Amino acid sequence: MSEVPMPEAEPMHPDVTATGLLAARTERLTPLYEAAIQTCAWGFRLGAVLLALGIVVTLAKGERLVHEAAPFGDVVVMLRGGSAAGIIDLAIRWYRLGPVATVIVVAASFWRLGDRRYAALSLVVLVILGASIALALNR
Amino acid sequence: VEIVYSLEIGAVAAVAAILGSMLGLGGGVFLVPILTLFFGIDPKLAVGASAVVVVTNSVVGSTNHLRSRFTNPRLAMLLQIATATGAIAGALFGVVADPRIIYGVFGVVLLYAAVSMVVRRVHAISAPPLDTPDPWRLGAAFRDPAIGSDVGYIPAHVTRGMGVGVGAGVISGMLGVGGGVIMVPAMNLWMATPVKAAVGTSTFMVGMTSVATAFVFYSQGKIDPTLVVPAIVGVFLGGQIGSRLTRRLRAQRLALIFSVILLYLGASLILRAFGVHLPGQS
Repeated sequence: MSEVPMPEAEPMHPDVTATGLLAARTERLTPLYEAAIQTCAWGFRLGAVLLALGIVVTLAKGERLVHEAAPFGDVVVMLRGGSAAGIIDLAIRWYRLGPVATVIVVAASFWRLGDRRYAALSLVVLVILGASIALALNR
Repeated sequence: VEIVYSLEIGAVAAVAAILGSMLGLGGGVFLVPILTLFFGIDPKLAVGASAVVVVTNSVVGSTNHLRSRFTNPRLAMLLQIATATGAIAGALFGVVADPRIIYGVFGVVLLYAAVSMVVRRVHAISAPPLDTPDPWRLGAAFRDPAIGSDVGYIPAHVTRGMGVGVGAGVISGMLGVGGGVIMVPAMNLWMATPVKAAVGTSTFMVGMTSVATAFVFYSQGKIDPTLVVPAIVGVFLGGQIGSRLTRRLRAQRLALIFSVILLYLGASLILRAFGVHLPGQS
């Protein structure tokens, strides 16, 4: 008889108290925690590099920061022209996309762990965030 | 002059992030009042900047909270459906609302936050019941370094929590505060979630909530890089310090910290809604 992995089955744990069982359930989510940590950490680091680069170019070129973030199409043009404001706009955009990337990673992790219910709920969150992104793109 | 201004904004953001991260409030609760009351910045630009900054603060704080397992990802995703929906609605209202409404609502929220800190301390839930029904499989555990043992918990009253989440989202979208100011006390007092798990889960959630807010404010041209850039740098430094302090402090100590500051800022904003400027404010 083939052994089918049971999604959501509680693993055996030396501590059979209620807290021990809850700790075992939390341990099962370790891959999800690790993936979310990596996404947050690298998302922030790359954003920090972009922001630092933007600040350095701003100071080096003697440019002034603009008072309004540019529409996406303008940012691409600004980046092509080596504008500091374009790099800074890109960094701000990058930070805003970080949590969206985290939701995608969490949804994928729940799916891989066999937790279809929370994978689906995470996708619902993603759709809601997508609605706000659609508003921004219509600017 | 611009560099001094940027340094001042950065310093304010760092302090706001330390306080916000320790209390799970996301930083915006302190940042927006300080920017508007003491720097005279347009409240909508302050809210837009705060929303971006809260996202950054959440990312920085979440890394540490996830590592400590204070974050409950199932609880976060479930509540986030309600909170993110509310945030979009709140932000759509906030970008067109009269600034006096922003001041007034913000003031009331801060007074609520201050009172809830005190109430949470009096009714602090240190040993939540583990016989609560768990149909959503939200129960989890984390090791609390302050007491040196595992803490298990099962969030209760999930439907009520989601209802509160919608309200928290609306407040968050309107004020750029992330929603932790509502969700941390709600999770702790009403859903029987230990304060550190509530803070960890809220810190994770506020990034997603604020991202919805930030996109809406961006769509209306209310994101000002001259505010956002120094604030992000300050928040990076402050968020690191704040989340590390959270792991070392006892839960009860977190509850009462800075409630006096919240009271002062809340009263100041309510007075500002009626056109009253207190001494020392812009």
